[in-house]
Amino acid sequence: MSSVQLRALRRTFGETAALQELTLDIASGEFVSMLGPSGCGKTTALRIIAGFEYPDSGEVLVDGKDVLGLPANRRNMGMVFQAYSLFPNMTARQNVEFGMRIRRMSHEERTTRAAALLDLVGLAAMMDRYPRQLSGGQQQRVALARSLAIEPKVLLLDEPLSALDAKVRVQLREEVRRIQRQLGITALYVTHDQEEALSISDRVAVMSNGRVEQVGTPAEIYGAPKTAFVASFVGTMNRLEGTVVSQQDRTVQVGSTRFMMANHGFERAAGERIDLYARPEDVGIAMITNGPEPPPGTFEGKVTSVTFLGPVTRVGLMTDLGPLLADVSSAVALGLSLDGRVAVKLDSASLRTIAG
Amino acid sequence: MSVQTTPVASRLASGGEQRRPWSYAWRRARSRIPLWHLLWLLVGALVFLVPLYALVQYSFSGLASGQSPFHWYLTVFDDPQFGTSFWMSLQIALETVVVGLLLMVPTAFWVHLRLPRLRPAMDLVSVLPFVVPPIVLIVGLIAFLRPFTWLIDRPEVLALIYVVFALPFLYRSLDAGLRAMDLQTLTEAAESLGSSTARTLFTVVLPNLRAAIIGGALLTVAIAMGEFTIASLLAFNTYPVYIYNIGTSQSYEAGALSVISLLLTWGAMLALFVLGRGGRTPTQTGIIK
Repeated sequence: MSSVQLRALRRTFGETAALQELTLDIASGEFVSMLGPSGCGKTTALRIIAGFEYPDSGEVLVDGKDVLGLPANRRNMGMVFQAYSLFPNMTARQNVEFGMRIRRMSHEERTTRAAALLDLVGLAAMMDRYPRQLSGGQQQRVALARSLAIEPKVLLLDEPLSALDAKVRVQLREEVRRIQRQLGITALYVTHDQEEALSISDRVAVMSNGRVEQVGTPAEIYGAPKTAFVASFVGTMNRLEGTVVSQQDRTVQVGSTRFMMANHGFERAAGERIDLYARPEDVGIAMITNGPEPPPGTFEGKVTSVTFLGPVTRVGLMTDLGPLLADVSSAVALGLSLDGRVAVKLDSASLRTIAG
Repeated sequence: MSVQTTPVASRLASGGEQRRPWSYAWRRARSRIPLWHLLWLLVGALVFLVPLYALVQYSFSGLASGQSPFHWYLTVFDDPQFGTSFWMSLQIALETVVVGLLLMVPTAFWVHLRLPRLRPAMDLVSVLPFVVPPIVLIVGLIAFLRPFTWLIDRPEVLALIYVVFALPFLYRSLDAGLRAMDLQTLTEAAESLGSSTARTLFTVVLPNLRAAIIGGALLTVAIAMGEFTIASLLAFNTYPVYIYNIGTSQSYEAGALSVISLLLTWGAMLALFVLGRGGRTPTQTGIIK
């Protein structure tokens, strides 16, 4: 178990900057995900920690010691790759024993440990199979067991599940998390799949353009995005363009509706433009049954799209606040028709602002 | 060969489906292989088979009454020069393989792993021995080697020269083998587990290159065993030179020798086929549970 600190890592490939002053702390035993679109530098950062790439400047500290001077084969990092990486000429067991052989462990120790690890990943019965006789999910399980066999200081996972199909992916990510908890190992997980990152991590670092945009627990990242990028990248977010009416009362005018913001430290001058954010699940809708006017506290909207997503249905709305997306229970959505008029309810309490 | 086996194959097919008449299997085979193709196969096969038949037939003819039908073969085996020249060629061939592999395996590995931008250049260099006319290569090589008198009198010099000739085959074969595996991921996986580059090469890369190495090596053996011009110019009595010398004076023995050579070549080809199949290790099966 070790802590990892990335200090101001910079790396450029030709003209493009893959990493710009990347700084991230990972506590001992913590499971941290680096989440971001492709090209945001997350894989480069992981490869620098593993020793397959070198930064132009910056430091990688493991337990407080700089490891950049060490070659990859002396860093003792377990790595699970995106591509299938099992040695085709070795059985599952021999793959797991590979690192232990290099460490000159005794035969008994090797076989016991390999069997225990393969049992841990649920493949005890397939020990003597070659990689080509295993499915993709099974191969990645063996790869995980192989990386754990060397008792690594840190477990690095580079999109290990992205080649697998949806069901196996969900099942396997839960197992990765279970094993990580069981062994108490420090893990850094790279993914572009937000659901994956949010569901298995202690903390998530959202990355964009070689920088960490925000680090926080999954709930913080989802509930209180700190930058516009995080708001738009993680989950779905409605953005409303408004104008500050009064700083003292924290009121913002959007279209013909006024909202009183609950945020502490609302520091915008009157007349300033401001973006308000709301999650689709915080937007409520109701039928306008009697009369031409929507009930008080709501505003009118026209249904522009209805997308069934299973338990909820995503409804596209056109309002005088701008276009909005609302997630409503699919049972409620049954009564909706395209171009129908609905009353839209948006609580001030569920509106967020983003500094900057 | 294939022409001969086609009716046999169809008869075998009919044997597997006993209730159906022979004509059914024939029609089915016919529907798969149009008549025109069979005709061309036959013509092609005849071009190869007729001279072969003539050669074999010749090596069993010209015998005095009472002589063994294998007389010319026995004569060849009795000639001590047959053994010495054959072993010399075999030794040179094996030296060529060893030197060639020692040279090309690390090179191909390194180019693939660390200098992928050099691959087009390597591709070009590897076909040079094909592009440059052999006689130009030979004259150039002899001029180059002449000052090294201690070397030019030894048969080992031929191995060094044959390495150049075998280069395209060896490199291409290794290149194809390396392309078939995800070399970067495999070496990085090995490295992350603590393996040194040399250890990765020997325990991970080479076992997965087995088929490519065997294939390249057998082609190299075939080249080194069959090369005549340089050996003759440098006055080494290698196996091909010996065959040529025999052919100028003892034609029946030369016929028998040629048949022996053909059988050896076919044996090598068969070994290549069998070993290549046995050593096939698909790196990416792509099976997703």
